[in-house]
Amino acid sequence: MWRPCGVFDETYEKDMAIVRTPLRWAALLASLLALGILPQVASYHLISFVNNVAITVILVLGLQVVSGYCGQISFGQAAFMAVGAYCSAILTEKMGISFWLAMPVAGIFTGIFGLVGGAPSLRIKGFYLAIATIAVHFVTMWLILHLEITEGSRGLTVKPPQLWSVSLDTDERMYYVIIPVMLLMTYGAKNITRTRVGRAFVAIRDNDLAAQVMGINLFYYKLLAFFISCFYAGIAGALWAHLNLVVHFEQFTLLHALWYVGMLIVGGMGSIPGVFFGVILIKLLDELVMVVSPILAAWFPWLGTAPAAGLGVTAFGAVLAFFLIKEPRGLAHRWEIIKASIRLYPFAH
Amino acid sequence: MEHLVQLMVIGLLEGGLYAIVAAAIVLVFKSTHVVSLAHGQIMGFGALAFWFGLVQLKLPLLMGLVGAMGFAGALGWLIERLAMRPLIGQPLFASFLNTFAIFLFMDGIFQLILKGESLSFSAYLPRGNVSLMGATVSVTQVVSFVGSLGIFVALALFYKFSKMGLGMRATAEDHQLAQSTGVSVRAVFSAIWVLSSVTATFAGLALATVIDIHYPLPYMGIKGLIVALVGGLESLPGALVAGLVLGILENISAGYLDPLVGGGIKEVAAYLLLLFILLVKPYGFFGLVRIERI
Repeated sequence: MWRPCGVFDETYEKDMAIVRTPLRWAALLASLLALGILPQVASYHLISFVNNVAITVILVLGLQVVSGYCGQISFGQAAFMAVGAYCSAILTEKMGISFWLAMPVAGIFTGIFGLVGGAPSLRIKGFYLAIATIAVHFVTMWLILHLEITEGSRGLTVKPPQLWSVSLDTDERMYYVIIPVMLLMTYGAKNITRTRVGRAFVAIRDNDLAAQVMGINLFYYKLLAFFISCFYAGIAGALWAHLNLVVHFEQFTLLHALWYVGMLIVGGMGSIPGVFFGVILIKLLDELVMVVSPILAAWFPWLGTAPAAGLGVTAFGAVLAFFLIKEPRGLAHRWEIIKASIRLYPFAH
Repeated sequence: MEHLVQLMVIGLLEGGLYAIVAAAIVLVFKSTHVVSLAHGQIMGFGALAFWFGLVQLKLPLLMGLVGAMGFAGALGWLIERLAMRPLIGQPLFASFLNTFAIFLFMDGIFQLILKGESLSFSAYLPRGNVSLMGATVSVTQVVSFVGSLGIFVALALFYKFSKMGLGMRATAEDHQLAQSTGVSVRAVFSAIWVLSSVTATFAGLALATVIDIHYPLPYMGIKGLIVALVGGLESLPGALVAGLVLGILENISAGYLDPLVGGGIKEVAAYLLLLFILLVKPYGFFGLVRIERI
């Protein structure tokens, strides 16, 4: 791995460490502190925005593992999130299990479900697989709509989780659940990438035949990638269900799955910070559209009264096309360039 | 038995429409090796242009048709010029993802134009029903089915005999080799996007007579993609066969399985078929089996 000059790793522990330099430790602690005091100072709107971003980050981290690291593009992430959301809602509402147990169970259940969804990856790859995951999405959503236990098009209502006697019924209270889970999941994803499993994923992404020749068990690792990705989706779905207190199949459309893949591309494939960049940029874009669209609607009456949905999708498509053409390696790559130029200042190279 | 025959006739007519959507996608793949999601939107916009010409401008039927196809051709050319050409030479997967960025971009505009309404031009089309082997179907459906078969024959002849078609086949083999033998790869790319857009528009018009111009119309492009995959991405006959098979399968499964499972099987029949075919024959019915080497 590439290291800037002047940074020496004298032990293997140092070489493998996730947080490698004192500066990074300082930045990490400062951002943790900022996250900790945010609910005290921020407005309600900002907190719900951060919650939304954090849940999406968990989801896209899963997508990063399967698509960014293992190279199996999946358009099924919204459906897998739906599975997690419905599973946790059924566990807490119909079986009376506590949320704290239901969340990991929903994650594992979604992971096992994802093994079925990821099975086509053993035979096909590239856009064949991408379209197959679209098929998995529609079949899953059809099942959710027609099974008895998910209550079809009515959806499920969920009670807020309880922590001892406190009901976590506001965004501020859920913040203290969502953010630690997100940090844990980020650590997990970052950790996977430096292990044997992560290296196997990267080998499969770069050339799966070559990986197989080197002794990597494609069957095992591809399914493992889907399991991990869907576990993340399941956790995100469980949090989503208990934040919004309602689970409905229209919250998980194919368009959502396309957004998640788009966030991954904008952020940068194969990079954990990239997930954060991509999710935050696209969510900010969404907020911007929300602010701008009433103004535009006032200026241009032919846009109609509620142009936000259409404008949002259009803006997203434009940003995505821009990134694919101009910066296919995403914001993470741009971030590396910025860091290098700061380090080298005042020299150009 | 009579019920089965009726379902098959209806399925066959619908399948013809799926096949023509798939044909547009196969055209692009055959020449550029890019799988395009964007054609669903081109379908939608073509149908919208036709509606505009027919209902707003009160053009005669044939002029509306020509106008819509011209509009779609221009749209296809524009997409190729602005969004696809910068990605020539990049990994093919980036081009595929770019078509889905285009899909989203146009989807937003489509929604803005529709504003949640659904537009219909059925009132301006010739009416009447015909009875085919016991099933009653509208004249427009029969006409669009025959039209789509005609387009298939025309495309097959074009690929087989015209110089441009041969150039396209050469381009699909190898860009550099084609360029060195005097085929302009850029011209081929432009031409194929125009041609496939016109084809997609025909499909869009035919579909819009059945389901109206409404926000799900562009998503029929995904169904076309599935038909193209089932038939094999390189194969026009494959698209036709798979389209007809899917149309019949959907209607038969809807007719016989819906009472058992509580409805809606028609929506997923296509996806179940795709998953099954991909597991059994990963390259579809007539697709080229690629042998990979390291």
